[in-house]
Amino acid sequence: MASHTHEVVPVDGTTRYPPRDEQLHRRLVYGDESALGEAYDAFGGLVRSVALRVSGNVPAAEEITREVFTYLWVCPYAFVPGRGSLRTRLSMLAHRRALTRVRAAEPEAGAADARPDAADAGSGAAEVNHAAPERAVPTPELRLHRALAALPLPQQEATHLACFAGRNYRQIAVELGIPEDMARFRLRSALRGLTDRLAEAGHPGGPAGPPEPPGPARPGQSGGRSAG
Amino acid sequence: MTADEGSGEHGPKGPDESGSAHGEDGGGAGAQGTPAESGAGSGPGRTAGHEAADEAGHEEVSRLLAAWALGAAMPGDDARVRAHLAGCRPCAAEAERLAATVRLLAGPAGGTAKSPARKGNAGLARGRLMASARAARPGHGPLAAHAAPYSGAVAGLEALLRELDDSPARWGTPVVHDWDVQGTLAHLIAADEVLAERLGLAPVTGARPSSAGAGAPWELRWVARTDEVVAYEHTRPTAETFEAWRTQAHGLLALPESADEQLAAAATTLMGLRLPVADHYVIRAFETWVHTRDIGRALGVTVPPPLPTHLQRMVGLAVRILDLALGPMARPVLLSVEGEAGGDWVLGSDAEPIAAELVLEAVDFCLLVGGRLEPGEIPRGHAGDAVASQRVLETAASLAWL
Repeated sequence: MASHTHEVVPVDGTTRYPPRDEQLHRRLVYGDESALGEAYDAFGGLVRSVALRVSGNVPAAEEITREVFTYLWVCPYAFVPGRGSLRTRLSMLAHRRALTRVRAAEPEAGAADARPDAADAGSGAAEVNHAAPERAVPTPELRLHRALAALPLPQQEATHLACFAGRNYRQIAVELGIPEDMARFRLRSALRGLTDRLAEAGHPGGPAGPPEPPGPARPGQSGGRSAG
Repeated sequence: MTADEGSGEHGPKGPDESGSAHGEDGGGAGAQGTPAESGAGSGPGRTAGHEAADEAGHEEVSRLLAAWALGAAMPGDDARVRAHLAGCRPCAAEAERLAATVRLLAGPAGGTAKSPARKGNAGLARGRLMASARAARPGHGPLAAHAAPYSGAVAGLEALLRELDDSPARWGTPVVHDWDVQGTLAHLIAADEVLAERLGLAPVTGARPSSAGAGAPWELRWVARTDEVVAYEHTRPTAETFEAWRTQAHGLLALPESADEQLAAAATTLMGLRLPVADHYVIRAFETWVHTRDIGRALGVTVPPPLPTHLQRMVGLAVRILDLALGPMARPVLLSVEGEAGGDWVLGSDAEPIAAELVLEAVDFCLLVGGRLEPGEIPRGHAGDAVASQRVLETAASLAWL
């Protein structure tokens, strides 16, 4: 497929990450606690919403959020600027951890008839509890998230920014230090790849029935935008 | 421009728009007008006419489609995409497929709806995070400005060494001189020990002080001591060396001298330098940072420059020591250190007009003084008497006390 990594060195002098990342990294390395607070204020909402999307479980999402930021604090060198923006790194880390967690919970089977939409439909209190039974058969959502985590990193970065952080392709281009064409290209490769994966898997479509009406893709409505 | 064009074309389609509005909104997705809304609803077979003919437009929209489906297009793109979709079945079908994926991937997350309710807990969650972070990587109590750079350097080295926990073999990576990571840390233990001992801390290493040459010059005693400690530390597990270094470093930071400026103003001579205790703390920071950088380079980890306020302190001290080393008779040179931690100083005699100006970057200057850059390789700006400038650079390099 056309979607292999096309890593391209930025053509202009743009840095590949926002300068703020560099300052935060430096302060984290040298133990300035207020830098952790700032990172949390800036990206906590994003991290939590990503964890929640994948895990469908509020307490789990809280815990993952705490883990992600504790890791940022304890292992600051792992976040060297220049290997992706801090925003994408944290978002992807939350995503990975949530997937790992869901997988770990899998064997403890439950009702086999997974209702992919249950998570969304569930009303407030229900959702805290439904987590376990839902795991037996991976929902299309979960399969998609797994497929996303398997994409080449540059595509993951762009997708996280668009999908979860509510960034448009111009902002993505700036944040990743790539031309806008490249940002659109990565989004296209990623989304097509994911759509193909979904089709391959037969998209049992969830009991709810096959492709809903076209339309409103409206990512980033949640923690995204406010997650700055 | 394109937006105009788009809306122009869009005009005739008014009815279609409303027609397709039915189609949207699978789940709770509907909301403030985001692009995709009526999107692929090419609906009532829009007279496959004029727009479809536009090949270039097709190409362009097709490149844009994924971004648009993700809600990541620019506001101006929207009308153009919609207009095209209304007349292009393949694109409309593709948009539909992509949109279905996006709905699954980015549809409302499980509990987002309740976020307002959880708002009250936000502060709590933040507090809990900070507490668990602090427990996992503790900081220090209040420190005076002279001890902050050392505290920062210790935090930076400690975090770096923690990352070695997973791969014990990397402790054996050669770093500088003939030291591996453990040896470098042992060297730091020996170097910190001089100040620790002076301030009354108990020794942390079992290396016996050599009886050899109690009356010998400090350089010789110091070399002998560092050799002893390095040799001793290599006989025990790296975790113990790490712990010994930590204990001593945190011990120094827990002393009243690290929090009390008055107390730290007392001068004492260590390693041939008679300076206030406060400055000795800054020297510890300097050396700790330089070796952290050494270890980072050996391991392929980027160690950032010290924080600006810390760097400033280090530069200021290095300049004073450099000035002492040049002596009062040296031809005066204006040294400009650039960057966030910079400043201007006149070095050497104050009885003569300035012979030269030398411009260096702050981190480069520290690396020169720390013996990690040669005078020949340091980027500089220079004007005036080259001999005088050269002398400053060479003297700075010869300070290397690390």
